[in-house]
Amino acid sequence: MNHNKRPTELQESAATETKNAFSEHLNQFNGFCDTLHNIERNLETIGNDAFKAALLSPGRVVKTDDGTEWQHDLDLMKDISICHRRIAGEMEFAVVESVPLPSGETKDVLNSGHNVREMLQTFAHDQRQVLRLWKDDVTAQMREYLDQKYPGHDMNIVVESFEYKMSRALAQRPAQAQNQSRGVRI
Amino acid sequence: METMPESEKPAPATAPLGERLAYSIQEAADLLGIHYYTMYRLIQRQKIKTCRVLRGKLLVPRTELVKLLQTDLR
Repeated sequence: MNHNKRPTELQESAATETKNAFSEHLNQFNGFCDTLHNIERNLETIGNDAFKAALLSPGRVVKTDDGTEWQHDLDLMKDISICHRRIAGEMEFAVVESVPLPSGETKDVLNSGHNVREMLQTFAHDQRQVLRLWKDDVTAQMREYLDQKYPGHDMNIVVESFEYKMSRALAQRPAQAQNQSRGVRI
Repeated sequence: METMPESEKPAPATAPLGERLAYSIQEAADLLGIHYYTMYRLIQRQKIKTCRVLRGKLLVPRTELVKLLQTDLR
């Protein structure tokens, strides 16, 4: 794509419509990116807090679907918490996700390990993959939306602008991502 | 710890479950009563199978939803 190409009036208008149509997704995506950045920036602190919680408090018991029992240390995100258990005197940590499905709540170990900091790094890496999946799906939905609204018109520049903005939100620290855009103003 | 953003009340899917072969992520999340970020997490961990249609949009087959609901919703 030629990023110096100016968008047409129709493309500018389509961008505004797309932004309105996908505003909830875009806002939520940015919110989750911020949360991920906060976790990445505070790995050490979160790790220390989890370790302290494991030492100080027995915590409520969390039984995961694989049959193992953990003790809750702290909440990492909504429905995601850090837990621990002791095996042969050693502390093992886990990131546990609870999914409240209609058939019953599932509890899965997303990541586990003896080094809580390394475990959180792996967790953050996995969440980046999830956010990429979300970004790709939303941009695919935008293409479909624009195809239906503007059949026969080239709206690549519009979708690419959103894709670029979402990629930046995921890649950068929130402070760096402010007021940066290219292509269509979104 | 910062609270994750959540939609207040998911909008209902546009068609009854029994009439469709597959659903968008948003629709599937609404039917299951979970946030769509949770859906993407389940997909990334291969807990839910999806297919990609034109333009790369993800769809959740009805059979996958029924499996998660453990009941036929028709």
